Amino acid sequence: MTVSVAGTGWDTAAAVARPARPRRTGALGGAARWLLRTVALTIPVFLFATFLTFLLGAVSGLSPAGLLLGDSATPADVARVRAELGLDRPVVVQYVDWLSHVVRGDLGSSWLNGVSVTSQIGDRLAVSLSVAAFALLIAVVAGTLLGIGAAVWRGSIFDRAVTGFCSVVSALPPFVVAVALIVVFSVLLGLVPSAGYVPFSQDPGMWLTLITLPAIALSLDAVADIARQLRTGLVSAYQENYVLGAVVRGLSPRRILLVHVLRNGAGPALSVLGLRIPMLVGGAVVTESIFGMSGFGRFAADGALRGDVPVVQGTLVVAVVVVLAANLVVDTLLLRLRPAARRRS
Amino acid sequence: MLRSVVASRTGTVSVAVLVFVALLAVAGPWLAPHDPLLQDPQAILAGASAEHWLGTDNLGRDVASRLLAGSTLSLVAALEAVAVGLVLGVVPALLSVHLGRAVEWLSLRLMEALVTLPFLVFAVAMTALLGNGLQQAMLAVGVLVAPGFYRVTRAAALPVATAQYVEAAVLAGASPWTVLRRHVWPKVVPAVAVSTASLLGASLVIVSSLTFLGIGITPPTPTWGGMLATDLQYLFQRPFGPFVPAVLIVATVWACNGIADALRDAPALSAERKVAAHVG
Amino acid sequence: MSADAAVPALLTVRDLSVHTADTTLVSGVDLSVARGGALGIVGESGSGKSLTCRSVLGILPAGLRGGDDTAITFDGTDLRGLDDRGWLGVRGTRIGAVFQDPASYLNPSIAVGRQLAEVLRVRVGLGRRAARDRALALLADMGLRDPALVYRQYPFELSGGMLQRVLIAVAISAEPDLLIADEATTALDVTVQAEVLDLLADLRERTGLALVLVSHDLAVVAQVCDEVVVMRDGTVVERGAAADVLNAPTHPYTRSLVDAHARYGIERFRLQEANHG
Repeated sequence: MTVSVAGTGWDTAAAVARPARPRRTGALGGAARWLLRTVALTIPVFLFATFLTFLLGAVSGLSPAGLLLGDSATPADVARVRAELGLDRPVVVQYVDWLSHVVRGDLGSSWLNGVSVTSQIGDRLAVSLSVAAFALLIAVVAGTLLGIGAAVWRGSIFDRAVTGFCSVVSALPPFVVAVALIVVFSVLLGLVPSAGYVPFSQDPGMWLTLITLPAIALSLDAVADIARQLRTGLVSAYQENYVLGAVVRGLSPRRILLVHVLRNGAGPALSVLGLRIPMLVGGAVVTESIFGMSGFGRFAADGALRGDVPVVQGTLVVAVVVVLAANLVVDTLLLRLRPAARRRS
Repeated sequence: MLRSVVASRTGTVSVAVLVFVALLAVAGPWLAPHDPLLQDPQAILAGASAEHWLGTDNLGRDVASRLLAGSTLSLVAALEAVAVGLVLGVVPALLSVHLGRAVEWLSLRLMEALVTLPFLVFAVAMTALLGNGLQQAMLAVGVLVAPGFYRVTRAAALPVATAQYVEAAVLAGASPWTVLRRHVWPKVVPAVAVSTASLLGASLVIVSSLTFLGIGITPPTPTWGGMLATDLQYLFQRPFGPFVPAVLIVATVWACNGIADALRDAPALSAERKVAAHVG
Repeated sequence: MSADAAVPALLTVRDLSVHTADTTLVSGVDLSVARGGALGIVGESGSGKSLTCRSVLGILPAGLRGGDDTAITFDGTDLRGLDDRGWLGVRGTRIGAVFQDPASYLNPSIAVGRQLAEVLRVRVGLGRRAARDRALALLADMGLRDPALVYRQYPFELSGGMLQRVLIAVAISAEPDLLIADEATTALDVTVQAEVLDLLADLRERTGLALVLVSHDLAVVAQVCDEVVVMRDGTVVERGAAADVLNAPTHPYTRSLVDAHARYGIERFRLQEANHG
């Protein structure tokens, strides 16, 4: 998926709305202001995202009445159940009520079986996070190596091979990669079971074997994206005068790359990584269904297909929190990497 | 515009691929040798033959005919989603630039919220909860690609809106509409053209993912994604079954990306727009 | 052409030329700098003076190459014959360099003190603490008033004059024998420029550092250097002791430079001020 566009569009957009003030010294003051600003930007996004999520259920017109009472329910019965559950109140009131439970960790209970959504998500999240974290690891390691290699040996065969690989891979949807991996490694070679999941605590070797194919399927286009952005970023960083300055000081090429160029050239790749995280989390829906893992994505999809609104809302809220947390980490890293960006943007 | 795209080799190949796929989609109903829904119990999971060019599936349906029918649906669905995204992205972006800080803040946070939502989970949830149909799916995908349009439009429009010559025009009494049409629009169009191509590819991926999961367009109606899902269940009988639908999806997405890249790199495009801006 | 032929030259350049694929940008440049000496190279932009410096440092821009007959000898080492590894032993520790636009030659994302300490650790071999202490001492030496504050500031937080002082500190931190200053004071305003030139002259006096000072400004060169080379269109048009060249220029181009300076230079400005006052 090539939805992400190069650069840190959101950062720039935010910065335009709020011109940067000259930085005053004093680490504590800067950190406090940064924290305040982050919170001021993250909380509205969280509220919007959860409200959209909640609205989805409200607009769907679905209610537990249909599920609980069956087809024989009279309109009066339905109205009674809706009133009991508070579904006849204005949407905003319902949202605030729901959110007040969410922030306490209570995501409600399934309309179908009445089991707490929080507890159902708990074990399934481990499955999905295993795969997503492994995919992230592959994306970062492989993307970084390919990107650095292409930038250092730019114009070489390796560079052209990486460019070609990126062009092809960015057109490969994860589910196509997943099917291809299964055909090759499970059906033709018979190396890996084509589906299933074993918890790490039960059999670490099997756990790794089973999450490898889904993780590769999820990570491939992120690998391509990171490699491409990193190459571009590094190539432009290499043209900066401070690289010449470092050469003149007699610093080794390796030191120049690792200490000076990487730090300034990694920004776009890191931003892309931030944009990729929602896709890694969201891609779980497809990979889990292909690889027969009962994870969090499949739970969400099944819930949606059955019209189990609390399940859908709950899974989306958890996903949003995971994504926001990951973005915070990426933003913090970006800021630490390039303190001048605050001023420059 | 087309000339600048075919100027590069990738661009030429991309256009050729898209024309080919479009032909399949348009002429599919006439080209198809069989009814895509017709089941032949005599030929279940059959190999390729003169009768069935690409063999048959688990219900004895002709794979070639289903692929052709699926082309139409998959492409139309992706186009529709991009159209929805275009409206939902470009309009708020232009408004955010021209209607002051409140609208700006609101639309920025809203778009950020949309990108925060995990793509596929949200598409699945939205489509299923709203009634699991093609229109619902297109709306969902359109909402999800809208931030892409929003961002590029805003990035293109913002520098223009704050440029001194535009401020001068406003002071001279130009209406917001004139500013939009004469100054902003010519800058926005090339950027949006690039995004349309790349987001068309992205939409096709999401649409295929949804149909792969049986969401949006449900069986037995054929789609590329849906056929891939069926093939996955019969891998041991037909290990190369997924090959053709997968290649069709990948080639189409690759061609969309290729056109986006060619448009982005085309110097002729920006020159063309500049001329248009002066004439318009 | 050293001031004193008895002292063996530190840097000798013979028949230096620089070429692109089809044109020659610099040709036939001969230079020589004595240990502890100071050579000025003067010329307008495009005269080839910067390319000459870069040739000596082995950092010609991509697409340019040095001539086959060019010989550059530094303290007995043939610089033209060095490979990448060989250069690591020369740059920084034997030859330092500072350039115009000091802000761009420092990494924008790393505090300036750490960049100074990096050279001290990697090139001089000091430990973490020792490098920091030495860096602070160097910054103080450069006339920076609050070294501890400057140490943890980023390039974007410092003024041009302060940055050039930091860059000079970085360039001399590994105690090289020669410092090449390519338009190092050009971007600075007049008073700061004078201070930085004083600093360079002072360093030369205290540490025996040899200088190659490149500038388009005759006054800058005259202030610090014993010898001057005037370049135009890639060749040397005049050379000699600084005082001789400035007082009695023989080449028409040098004369025009001196005249222009007299007409637009600071002396004339001062004179006017005095008349009006």
